[in-house]
Amino acid sequence: MTRHKKRLFGRSGLGVIAIGLPAAMFLLLSLGTPDFFSARNIANVNSQITALLIVALGQLIVALIGGIDISVGSVISLTSVVLASLSASVAVPVALILAALVGLGNGLGVAVFGVHPLIMTLASMIFVQGFALLIMSAAGGTVPPLLIALAKTNIAGLPAGFFWCVSALAIVAVLLHKTAFGLRLFAIGANAQSAALSGVGVRAPRLACYMLCSLAGAIAGVYLTGRIASGDPTMGEPFGLNSVTAIALGGVQLSGGVGSVIGVVLGTITLGLISNGMNLVGVSPFFSAALTGLLLLGAVSLQRRKAIGI
Amino acid sequence: MTDSIINEPALRSRWPRVLGARLANLPISYLGTVALLLGAGLARPNLLQPFLLLLILRQAAPLGIAVIGQSLCIRMLSLDLSFGGIALVVSYILTSGLLRLPESELIALCLLFGVVVGAVNAFFITRLRASSVIVTLAMVLILGGIVTALSQYRAPGSAPPMLRYIGQARIGIFPVSVMVWIAALVPMAWFLRRSVFGRFVDAIGANPRAAWASGIPYIRTIYVGHILSSLFAVLSAFLIVGFVGFGSLSTGADLALNSLAAVILGGVTFGSGKGGVIGPAVAAFMLMFSFNLLTSFGLGEPGKEMAQGAIIALAAIAYAARGAAPAA
Repeated sequence: MTRHKKRLFGRSGLGVIAIGLPAAMFLLLSLGTPDFFSARNIANVNSQITALLIVALGQLIVALIGGIDISVGSVISLTSVVLASLSASVAVPVALILAALVGLGNGLGVAVFGVHPLIMTLASMIFVQGFALLIMSAAGGTVPPLLIALAKTNIAGLPAGFFWCVSALAIVAVLLHKTAFGLRLFAIGANAQSAALSGVGVRAPRLACYMLCSLAGAIAGVYLTGRIASGDPTMGEPFGLNSVTAIALGGVQLSGGVGSVIGVVLGTITLGLISNGMNLVGVSPFFSAALTGLLLLGAVSLQRRKAIGI
Repeated sequence: MTDSIINEPALRSRWPRVLGARLANLPISYLGTVALLLGAGLARPNLLQPFLLLLILRQAAPLGIAVIGQSLCIRMLSLDLSFGGIALVVSYILTSGLLRLPESELIALCLLFGVVVGAVNAFFITRLRASSVIVTLAMVLILGGIVTALSQYRAPGSAPPMLRYIGQARIGIFPVSVMVWIAALVPMAWFLRRSVFGRFVDAIGANPRAAWASGIPYIRTIYVGHILSSLFAVLSAFLIVGFVGFGSLSTGADLALNSLAAVILGGVTFGSGKGGVIGPAVAAFMLMFSFNLLTSFGLGEPGKEMAQGAIIALAAIAYAARGAAPAA
């Protein structure tokens, strides 16, 4: 029983830092800032982290197979400009198809041609960002009213972002823990060669992971665009790196095979609390970027890997 | 004796194939540069004037210098994406007037800063075994965040005269910055080819475990590599600040990504233990030339970004298709 527990704990990647850091931040902010517990601020934090959580869940899926996708930020930007420049009836399907295509490109490069995931997604990040700027050079356009309502309407006193978060979490949790696909991802991430020798198909799940990650980016883009009620070709810029930071803080091993949905939630909350805390205390948001960097360094240092290098 | 064994006609009939294989193994940057020059010759002959080519060479000098460091890291199976952060801090130290020191001391301080950043990167990568991608990206967040926040209180100003001279002056028609590039490139190429350190780099790149088991000073080599890489980034920032003439919060923003693109185009690949210094240098010129060519076709910034992304992806796929095993 203990061994079983230990194994479960090991595969989830949850540890003292992943759990302790958000708890400490929570405690510090609730003691230090009187406004922290106001319903308005909590709703604010929720809205701020919704998009990051959705992207980080996509990043988790890719990280589980030992990959990384830094192009999700550009996918968010692309989604935003597509939604703001096409008619309401076709905008969402087109945005999702484009995102799936970006994911397919990434997946083909990595799984079929053997390009390092960082290089492949870096290339697509630059390409897709250029494409987004080509469609719309500056923020603007009109967003379908339905999307704005979906992102902004409160239901039963709870902000819309809450429901987006819960839906995304439920889908990814079921996908990872209740399906054969999810099990395969853990197997591939732990040891791709062993998985392949055991009869687990490696190529198709890898392709699917990159497509799912890009789709997560598109869904985050739909939410953000609805919330801001305008298209922005550089909206997603910080999300590529922030999503990696969030999952690293949540104990997800970037070398693959270890990670959990709960860890991603905790990592995302940590990042959200940092920027919210900085706001409440009145510190320059640029220092919060520096603090995020420091936390990222700390989080990855605690995940001592076998190999040195990329 | 051996002469009689070799079947000469057979050898002769094989040479086109050997030559073809050699050409196919050349870095993409060589063939790409030739193709671009030919394309420009047909479509935009004006771009091939010696004066303009030298101007493009001068534009490529900062990137070329950063590329030396990046290719060194990639040859060791590491990566350095912290160039943007380093360039930003160097620009701020040199131009903000925050530190009222003589020019030479500011330059020395920047070099010292480069050594420290390189050592910190290497410490996290080797001792704590953190991913080099994450470590160096986190470094960009930290350095960029601090400089951007500080700039609210004291904006960057103009560059020191000596660096302006290096960045802008010419001797004859030859830009000084290109001479600095060559002065950094040639000794480094020689050093990596001839020195024991160069052999260590190749051994680690080819097979880190075997290198470790053979008693190669793995950690020390990575330390030296990352410190050199950061120092080249500092040197590159000197040229950018000198060329532009003043500091800015966008100094060196695309240095890391462009250097990565140039290294891939230059034939240095992860984990092969192969790769020279000249291929990536040619790739730096190739990238700058292609940006100028695209501009001459009226392609704006978005088009350039798309072309840049496509170039990196295609080059990486081409190299990977030559025989690397699928990665994660």
